[in-house]
Amino acid sequence: MTTVSIRRLGKRYGATTALDAVDLEIGTGVTGLLGPNGAGKSTLLRCLATALAPDTGSLRVHGFDPAVQHERVEVRRRIGYLPQNPGLYPNFTAYDLLDYVAVLKEITDTGARRAEVRRVLEEVELTDRAKTKVRKLSGGMRQRLGLAQALLGEPELVILDEPTVGLDPEQRMLFRALVSRIGEHRTVLLSTHQTEDVGALCERVVVMRGGRVIFDGSPRELAGVAEGQVWLSAEPPQGNAAYWRNADGLYRTLGARPAGGEAARPSIEDGYLLLLDSEATTAGAATGVAPTAGAATGVAPTAGAATGAVTTAGTAAPDAAGATTAPGVIR
Amino acid sequence: MTDWHLDQDLLDRYDRGDLDTGRVMAVEAHMLACPHCRFRVHVDVAWTTGNWAIVYDAVHAPRVGPAQRLLTRLGLPEHRVRLLTATPALRWSWLLATAAVLGLAVLAAVFSRDGTDRAGLLFLVVAPILPVVAVSGAYGPPADPMYEITGTAPAAGPALVLWRATAVIGAAVATAGFAALLLPAAGWYAAAWLLPALLLCTGTLALATSVPLPLAAGTLGGLWLAGVLGVTGFRHEPAVPLVFGPAAQLSYSLAAALAAIVLIRRRRRFDPGESR
Repeated sequence: MTTVSIRRLGKRYGATTALDAVDLEIGTGVTGLLGPNGAGKSTLLRCLATALAPDTGSLRVHGFDPAVQHERVEVRRRIGYLPQNPGLYPNFTAYDLLDYVAVLKEITDTGARRAEVRRVLEEVELTDRAKTKVRKLSGGMRQRLGLAQALLGEPELVILDEPTVGLDPEQRMLFRALVSRIGEHRTVLLSTHQTEDVGALCERVVVMRGGRVIFDGSPRELAGVAEGQVWLSAEPPQGNAAYWRNADGLYRTLGARPAGGEAARPSIEDGYLLLLDSEATTAGAATGVAPTAGAATGVAPTAGAATGAVTTAGTAAPDAAGATTAPGVIR
Repeated sequence: MTDWHLDQDLLDRYDRGDLDTGRVMAVEAHMLACPHCRFRVHVDVAWTTGNWAIVYDAVHAPRVGPAQRLLTRLGLPEHRVRLLTATPALRWSWLLATAAVLGLAVLAAVFSRDGTDRAGLLFLVVAPILPVVAVSGAYGPPADPMYEITGTAPAAGPALVLWRATAVIGAAVATAGFAALLLPAAGWYAAAWLLPALLLCTGTLALATSVPLPLAAGTLGGLWLAGVLGVTGFRHEPAVPLVFGPAAQLSYSLAAALAAIVLIRRRRRFDPGESR
């Protein structure tokens, strides 16, 4: 079932294009928005959360149009939003803060409101921290409290903007488990620039760059973008290929095969890096700059990338058992 | 853990509440050490859950203060009282600053050597600005760190802005009113600042439909100070009748009404999701 429908959405800040004709349909489950800083992820999420009005295009959340004032209220009744900087009041206790947000979410009956506060505290495993002031909570707990306020009123769409930034590995794992549970019955849309989050959480990943969607598919399909282009070798490659030394002391190279290189299983990060590289290449080709690794590696360069209009099928990716899965869509 | 267990008759009497205190204590002491007997006791899950919720809320729910009790008695619904009283609680800094400025004005009036005229004028000029400063912190960035969450809640929008503004204006006016009573020989001008304050507050909110709230507050506050100083040169004699006399007060009322009309017509601009 489609929760969110986005058509040709555009937003500009002065001379900068933050969103450039974005088209997306999003349904139940966890969808990850991946992209470098300035890709337009937060702008897209803020438009969906009704914190920002787009300049062009249309947006529907459960069929309601946030551009229309009374429908915007209906959208707000159906969403939970955790912004990148939630700014939770430091002197409020966890319980007070949730009670306050619950009032803002129109849960006006005192008994119902308190039951809802208890429910979300339990859901994010902060029941025993209800009396603790926000400023005394750890970073991970504060982020879980932010998630709790987003879950008040059982929203059908949960929007999380960079929710795992600054969390240590243990807290991040706990947070992922929570989000994964939430995504079983709801639509969760989260932005991140951590490919580990995508691999651990998301059934679907949308990669953005320069305000455009450049990939839409499963995490496995994103990894598949790098199929046949990831190599391990004892010596560093010659030339200007992207490589790094891994924990085993071997050199992991993306792109053309280096001397003595053996093929390695691609990761989501490999696919993501090559995708961004191919995008840069395509943009470069359109402006007359010589193509680099991306074009040479067989990632389909999209002529339409310059205009965002043409869609090309990505490479097929073998799954864990070696079978071929349906390709993601590189736009 | 023990091999000895409570007999069923004793447990049944415990369940029914038929045991005397000494036996109840003995049974409970045994159950603390014996999971087997503990799990044989009948548990009313709904009753236990309900009571647990009551205890949990009693310990953790926000305390009801005197201001909340007063507003509830005045007939405001509980959730509205919660919004109003939580808002000034976010802004101890401006409330303390307001009290400090007014305290200094009163002290200046009490201890000034050249009579109370200049100190009284200082009070009259400063007092209308204080509610405006309060309003500037009532909504939106940078005053409210939770602006994005607040602004995307179903209750967000013009109604919330006006409720919050009312709460902070009320607190600031009460503080300034109290300070006015402390002025020596206050006379009629102890209340002369109220209409200019009303104009500056409604004007700030009306202007804030076009520019950020702090900028609107700064602009109108600055214009007020510049205007008073420009017209009077900060001399008491021309200032009080000119700036706070009946003709001036009438013009403040009319201008405030005009600002209120603009505010009502453009109120939707307070919604961050509204197209500009």
